[in-house]
Amino acid sequence: MIRFLKLYEKFGIVIFIALGSIFLVAVTPNFLKLDTILNILAQAAHGAIVGFGMTMALTSGGFDLSVESIMALTSVFMALLIPVIGIPMAILVSVLIGSMVGVLNGLVIAKLKVNPLITTLSTATIIKGVALLVAGGRMIVIMQKQFMTIGTGKLLGVPVPIYLMALFFGLFYLVVYRSSFGRHVAAVGSNESAVRISGLDVDLVKIGVYVLVAFTAAVASVVRTSQALIGMPSMSPGFVLVVLTITILGGTSLAGGRGNLWGTLLAAIFVSMIYYGLNLINVQVFYQMLAVGLVLMLALFIEGLRVRYLQAAKAMGIKV
Amino acid sequence: MKKILSILLVLAVMAGTAFAGGAGEGAKKEVTIGFSLWTMKYTFFQAVEKGVRDACKELGYKYIMIDQNEDATKMVNDLNSLVGQKVTGIVITPVDPGAIGPAVQKARDAKIPVVCADIGKTGPVNALMISNNKKGGEMAMEYMDKLFKEKGIESKKVGVGRVQPQYTYASQRGDGFVAKAKELGYSVVSDLVTQPPTAEGGYDTMQQMLSANPDIAGVFFASGREAVGAANAIKAAGKSTLVVGYNGDPEEIQAMKDGIMAGDIAQQPYYIGYQSVMILKDIFAGKTYEDAVVPVDVALLTPDTVDDFQKKVDALMKK
Amino acid sequence: MNGARGSARVWIASRWDSFGLPALIAVLVLVFSLLSSTFASGYNLFSNLAFSSLVGIGAIGMVFCIMSGDFDISVGSMSALAGVLGASLVGRIGGVGAVLVTVATATVCGIVNGVFVTKLRIPAFITTLGMQYVYRAIAYIYTSNTPVYIKDPFWLFLGSGTVLGIPLPIIITAICFAAAVYVLRKTPFGRSVIAVGTNKTAAMLSGINVDFIKNMVFVLVGFFVGVATVVTASYLGSVNPGMTGQGYEFQVITVVVLGGTALTGGNGNMLGAFFASLFLTYLQNGLGLKQVNSYWQFVATGLVLIFAVGINRVKSALLGQREL
Repeated sequence: MIRFLKLYEKFGIVIFIALGSIFLVAVTPNFLKLDTILNILAQAAHGAIVGFGMTMALTSGGFDLSVESIMALTSVFMALLIPVIGIPMAILVSVLIGSMVGVLNGLVIAKLKVNPLITTLSTATIIKGVALLVAGGRMIVIMQKQFMTIGTGKLLGVPVPIYLMALFFGLFYLVVYRSSFGRHVAAVGSNESAVRISGLDVDLVKIGVYVLVAFTAAVASVVRTSQALIGMPSMSPGFVLVVLTITILGGTSLAGGRGNLWGTLLAAIFVSMIYYGLNLINVQVFYQMLAVGLVLMLALFIEGLRVRYLQAAKAMGIKV
Repeated sequence: MKKILSILLVLAVMAGTAFAGGAGEGAKKEVTIGFSLWTMKYTFFQAVEKGVRDACKELGYKYIMIDQNEDATKMVNDLNSLVGQKVTGIVITPVDPGAIGPAVQKARDAKIPVVCADIGKTGPVNALMISNNKKGGEMAMEYMDKLFKEKGIESKKVGVGRVQPQYTYASQRGDGFVAKAKELGYSVVSDLVTQPPTAEGGYDTMQQMLSANPDIAGVFFASGREAVGAANAIKAAGKSTLVVGYNGDPEEIQAMKDGIMAGDIAQQPYYIGYQSVMILKDIFAGKTYEDAVVPVDVALLTPDTVDDFQKKVDALMKK
Repeated sequence: MNGARGSARVWIASRWDSFGLPALIAVLVLVFSLLSSTFASGYNLFSNLAFSSLVGIGAIGMVFCIMSGDFDISVGSMSALAGVLGASLVGRIGGVGAVLVTVATATVCGIVNGVFVTKLRIPAFITTLGMQYVYRAIAYIYTSNTPVYIKDPFWLFLGSGTVLGIPLPIIITAICFAAAVYVLRKTPFGRSVIAVGTNKTAAMLSGINVDFIKNMVFVLVGFFVGVATVVTASYLGSVNPGMTGQGYEFQVITVVVLGGTALTGGNGNMLGAFFASLFLTYLQNGLGLKQVNSYWQFVATGLVLIFAVGINRVKSALLGQREL
C-alpha cells in the first residue's frame, strides 16, 4: 500500500487519464482515431509548455500570473516584426522581448522583495496595457503564410506542437532534475532563509526562474499566434488559471520545494482530453468547466488523504 | 478617532470641490452626444465609433466617448457618469446588453434619449440598430448550398460555431443558419458554441468538429475571428470543408483572398454607428422612437466581391 | 537617517496607515477636479462613491481572510452563482426573499470553502481555485447560460434608491464597514483572527480554536460577497452567469492590499480597503472622463499597485515592522 501511495505521487494522474480514456472510448467511436489523439496532444501543448515554466515558478515558492499578458505582448510583436525582419528573426526578437518581462518580474520579486502575487498581478495589467498600446488596439493580420507551419505543420504526420512539447519537457527535465540550477530552485522554494545563509545568490535564481516562465509563455504564444495568423493584443483570457490548475493537478506543491514535471505534462494532456473529448460528444462548455473543477478537487482530496495516511504510517514507525 | 478624522477629511475635500466645480454646470445649449463603447480592440467597433464620431461632426454635435473596457460594471458606471454630465443624447454599444436596464431608466428619467448601436438592449431604450442577424445566418446557408451544388458536393453534413448565448441578437445568426439548413434538407451534425470566443477558439472548435465528423462539408462560424481560426484548422488538417464567416473584418477578407474561406456575411458597423446618431437627431426634433428595433441589412461577400468591399470600407474609415 | 529628516519620515510612516490613503484620495480628487469640471460635480462624486461599494463590500470579508493567512479566489464565481440563484427566485418568493437567498447562497459557498480548507486540509488557494470552476459551472448550468433580469422594485431600490438624499449603496457600505471595524478591533473574534494570521501554532497553543476561526473567516467572505452581489445586481438590473464577477477576485485582492493589509497575514487595515476602493474608482473615473486612452489606464493601474506596495514596504521598514 505504501509503495503504491509513493508511486501515486509520481504517476497518480495516469490513473485519471486511463479512467477518462475508458469513459471517452465507451462514449464515442471517434476517440481512438489517431487524428483525434494527435489533436488532443497538440492542444495540450500550450498548457504543457507554460505549465513547465509555472512548475519551476511554484517550486521556487512563487508563481506567475502575468503569463497571459506576456503571450499577448509576444503575439503583437511577432505580427509587427515578421513583415520587417522575416519570420525567424521576428520569433527570436519577440520571444526575447517576452522573456524580458520575466526579468522585470524577477527583479521586482527578488530585489524589491514584493510578493509574487502582487508583482505578477501588476505586471499582467501593465503589460496588457503595453500590448494594447503597441498594437494600437487592433488585431494585426499576419500575411506570411509560411508562419502557419509552426502551429499547424506536421513532421512525419505528427503535429509540430507535440514535438515542441516533448522538446521542452526534455529541456526542463534536464534543468530541474539534472542541473545545479534546478537544485537551487528547489532549495530556495523549501527554505529560502537557510539557502541565503549558505551563500547562494538567491536573487539570481529567482530572476532566472521568472525569465524561464516568461520564456515558456512567449514560446506558447508563437505557436498560438501561428495557428490564428493574427497578432492578438489579448489572447486566451483565463489561461493563467488553466495553467495553474494543470500544474497543481500534476502534483506540484504550492508551498514550493518540489516540482512534478511529469505530473504537469500528464495533467496538461488530461485537461486537454477533458475539453476535447467532451466537445466530441457535444457536451456543453459549462459541464467541461465543472469537470475540471471537480477533478481538481478530487485530486486534491485524494492527495490530502494520501499525505495523512503516510504521515500516520510514519508516526507508527513504519518505514516510509 | 483617527479613522473618523480621515473620513471627514476626504468628505470635506469632496464637498469643497463639488461646490467649486458645481458652478460650472450650466444649461448646455450645444448638443452633446455621449457614446459608451464595448471596446476599441476590434475593427468592427472601431468602425462603429467612426460612424458615431463622423455623424456628430457633420451635425455639429459635441462628442464624448468612453471605453467600457469590456467591463459590465464599468459600463453602467459610465452611463451614470454621462447622465451626470447632462449629455443631450446617448449612444451605447454594450458589452453586456442585459445589464443596462436601471442605467437606461436613469437616463430616460433625466430626459436623455438612448440608442443602442448593435449588440442588444434592455430597459426603456429608444431604439436599437442591429443587423438582421437571422437573415444573415440564412444567407450563409443558402450560399453554402449554392456552392455545394456548383462543386458537386454530395454530403449533407454541416456544422455551426455559434456565438455565446448571452448575445441574444447575434445568436440569431446560428438560428437562421440551422433553420435554413433543415429547410434545405441538410443535417447539422455539429452545433457548438465556439469556446473561447477568439481565433484560437475557432481553431480548436473546428478541430473538434473535424474529429467528430471528418466528412463535414461546410461550417458557419458566426463571428469573424473565430471563422478565420476555423479556416486555418481546416487547412492544417488538409481538408476542404467550406467555411463561411460573419462580420466583414479585415482578417476574414484576407482569408477569402487566400482562398481558405468561402464566403462572409458583412455587417455595416459604420452605418450602424452613424445612423444611431441620426435617430437621436430625429428624436431631438420631436419624432418618437420607443423600444424600436431597426434592422440593418447585411451583405454576402464572396472572393470576387471582397476587393470592392474593402475599398468602400477604407474610404469610410479615411474620411 | 539623521535627526530631523529621519524623524519626519518616521512621523509620516506612523501616520500612513490612518491618513496615507485618504490624503492620496484628497490629492487625486483635487487634481482631477481641476482638470475636469464634470468630475467635480456632486453627482459624479457621489455616484462614484456608490460604485466603489461593489468592490468595497466584497473586500471586507477578504480582509478578514487575508489577515487570517488565507486566500479566496472563488469570490467572483460565488457572486455569479449567488446572483443567478437569488434573481431567478424573485417570482416565487418576492424581492426580499430573493435578496436573502443571494446572501445565503454566497455564505453557503463560503462554508463549503471553509470545510475544504479546515477538514480536508487543502490549501485555501487551491481549494478556491478549483471551486471557482465549480461554482461558475453550476451558475451556467442552472441558467442555461442566459442572463437573469431583475425587475423587483425592492431589489432595484437597494442599488439605485436614496434615503435622505444619500444613495443606498453608500449607506449599506457604511454599515458594513462600521460593523467590520468593530468586530475586528473590539471583539475577541477579531483578535483571534489576527493571532491566527500572525502565528498559527502560537495561536493554537494559546487556546484559540484555529479551525473555527478559519471556518468563520470563509463564512464572512461569502456573506459579504453576497451583500456586494445584491448591490451589484441591483445596479446592473441583471445577473449574467458568464460575466458577473469576472475578474472580481483580483479587484478585491488589489483593494485589500492597496489598503495596507499584508499578504503574509496578521494585522490588517479594514478601513484602508474602503479607501483603496474609493481611490481606484476615482482614478478610473477621472482618467476616463479626461478621455485618457484606456490602454494607458491599464498601465496606470498596474503601476499604482506596485507603487502602493512599495510605499507600504518603505513604511514598514521605517517603523521596523514585518515585511509585506
